[in-house]
Amino acid sequence: MAHATSIQYEPVAEIGGGAYGTVFKARDIQSGQFVALKSVRVQTDQNGLPISTVREVAVLKRLEQFDHPNVVRLMDVCAIQRSDQETKVTLVFEHVDQDLKTYLERTPAPGLSPERIKDLMRQLLCGLAFLHSNRVMHRDLKPENILVTSQGQVKLADFGLARIYSCHMALTPVVVTLWYRPPEVLLQSSYATPVDIWSTGCIFAEMFRRKPLFCGESEVDQLGKIFEVIGLPPEEEWPTDVTLTRKNFPPNMPRPIADFVPEISEQGAQLLLKMLTFDPLKRISALNALEHSYFQDGETLSQTKAKVMQ
Amino acid sequence: MTLEDELTSAAAQGHTAEVSRLLQAGAQVNGVNRFGRSAVQVMMMGSTPVAEVLLRHGADPNVADRRTGATPLHDAARAGFLDTVRLLVNYKADPRAKDKANCQPIDLARKSGLTDVVAYLECVLSGNSGL
Repeated sequence: MAHATSIQYEPVAEIGGGAYGTVFKARDIQSGQFVALKSVRVQTDQNGLPISTVREVAVLKRLEQFDHPNVVRLMDVCAIQRSDQETKVTLVFEHVDQDLKTYLERTPAPGLSPERIKDLMRQLLCGLAFLHSNRVMHRDLKPENILVTSQGQVKLADFGLARIYSCHMALTPVVVTLWYRPPEVLLQSSYATPVDIWSTGCIFAEMFRRKPLFCGESEVDQLGKIFEVIGLPPEEEWPTDVTLTRKNFPPNMPRPIADFVPEISEQGAQLLLKMLTFDPLKRISALNALEHSYFQDGETLSQTKAKVMQ
Repeated sequence: MTLEDELTSAAAQGHTAEVSRLLQAGAQVNGVNRFGRSAVQVMMMGSTPVAEVLLRHGADPNVADRRTGATPLHDAARAGFLDTVRLLVNYKADPRAKDKANCQPIDLARKSGLTDVVAYLECVLSGNSGL
């Protein structure tokens, strides 16, 4: 790990954080380019950094070696000891000056073309398939951390940070959006990589609608809004390790997804439903989603696979 | 946190409505944050709506980064956001401005292989800025 971040990277604005540290937009003085500095304060003892932090950083550095086109570059990692008990770990990421939220907002009516949506979705799923095949889940996928370059290249950001931050999360209450959270997270059940597919489904719908699909104001409200669309799941699919019971929700029947996403093609709607599947074990994976017939026109399967392997 | 800190943060995150709200609340459009930068210097370059709000409120598009000498036009050209490049030029950003490495915005676009931005800036530099 290198030292002296402040010399090579000069912060120019605060762009987020709070819960775990702070995120800055900064300038790399040598290249002149903008970067994102993500810092986290880590408690240390006489053995130095906790092994969990070292392991998570090692995972990110290993991912970086693949140079995948659909994830942001990790350019540098710096550790600065602040005191005997605290070290500041700063991750330096490539900064892309546009996110999917902005991209959707500034697209004039009637919105993105079906081909453009398909291309964005293919890139998003390629990035996810890459992360998942390396056993990294994102956990907080949303339009704000899906970056889109001026040339239309999708790059996922903020992946793999959740566990580095997790021990610090409880310290500061921050408002985090619930809109892209899957039922298993809202129910506080166990979860894994399918969480990201749920979020991807919500974002897929949003690309057509240009507004979010499920805008809940609390965990229960969010679940209620989800069940209004996909229907209340059967009792046998309800997780057993949760406190919130199925009886808390009205017995909604599933409604046609095209009522909520009017412009979507039939195959798109099929794929969307496989992503918005209540049971995480039955939800489609990123790799299988890329093989779905929705993606089969235009580009051949082998080309899609070649992109994933990159 | 000053209003200008909030304004620059909102601009950097592409939050157009928040930028408008802060300007109405009295944030100085050319005021600097605690890092000595104004909103137009740090704005999300791909967010043309944010750029538009700031420039309409009188943001100075020719302010140069105190460290590298880059103007907002340098940064928008390097990243390839043609709509923002065009908007900055319409609001009198100097296409001939040079950063401390002696580069003009068009040089940075060329280095990044952004042919559409290069073509546009070539027209502007040759005097056909009515595009």
